[in-house]
Amino acid sequence: MSDLLHFEDFHEGQTFSFGCYEVTQEEIIEFAREFDAQPQHLDDDAGRRTILGGLAASGWHVCAMTMRMLCDGLLLKAAGCGGVGADECRWMKPVRPGDVLRLEVEVLETRRSKSLPDAGFVRLSCRVFNQREQVALLNTTPIIARRGA
Amino acid sequence: MWFEDVLIGTKRDLGSYTLPQDEIMTFARKYDPQPFHVDLEAAARSMYGGIIASGWHTAALWMKCLVESGRGDAAPDGIVSPGFEAMRWHKPVRAGMSLTFSTEVIDKVELKSRGDLGLVKRRNEARDDTGALVFSFIGKSFVPRKP
Repeated sequence: MSDLLHFEDFHEGQTFSFGCYEVTQEEIIEFAREFDAQPQHLDDDAGRRTILGGLAASGWHVCAMTMRMLCDGLLLKAAGCGGVGADECRWMKPVRPGDVLRLEVEVLETRRSKSLPDAGFVRLSCRVFNQREQVALLNTTPIIARRGA
Repeated sequence: MWFEDVLIGTKRDLGSYTLPQDEIMTFARKYDPQPFHVDLEAAARSMYGGIIASGWHTAALWMKCLVESGRGDAAPDGIVSPGFEAMRWHKPVRAGMSLTFSTEVIDKVELKSRGDLGLVKRRNEARDDTGALVFSFIGKSFVPRKP
């Protein structure tokens, strides 16, 4: 498993770029029905009456899509052992059917853990762009990575 | 509910949700396929000792309980939020755990840029059967002001 990225492989200022995630109307509505059944996530006309301006994905769905890109691009290639949360998340632009999202990640900080001697925290700044190069989501999130042998 | 009617300190119970293992794994296969969310054997060997829910699944369940409790203080066409802060997954969420969700208004901010909206901040939580804190974050939502 030596090909996995360990805590020592991350350093401040490092950047990664991944994508892409094609957003469909079906998936927006399916997620919303289960978790966030508000009109602007289920119906285009209702969305037009809000400041979202049309059918838009639940912000929690955008977080989940971001996580999927982060997993495929980085976390499944790292000796990761989960996260502790998200320091700040901003939903900058509505995410709509037909959008194609990509993710840029920058390492803000690496820090050894006092409570987990064989792991450390890697704080990531995530920026999700749509196909118009607009920032759709900003999220700062610390992940836990195991130290190498 | 108008911005003017929102009272700091108002706390509401949003109900409970017991998360089955198949829902944990279905969500994680789509959105967070790390081994300790989707692979029973790998999860057993991990520091968690078994399958745990994606933290984003817990967050989505908080939203589900807010919306389904009808207590979103929403405008007729739904809640619009610019984001959140300080989200923490304090304890792993395991299959069969019953989570009880709540929301409490902690701050109100008038927006200079939008005279028709105010920003309401809430501390949102999930607790387990023993009352221990499992999940928390500071949510923000826009609430219309009285015309």
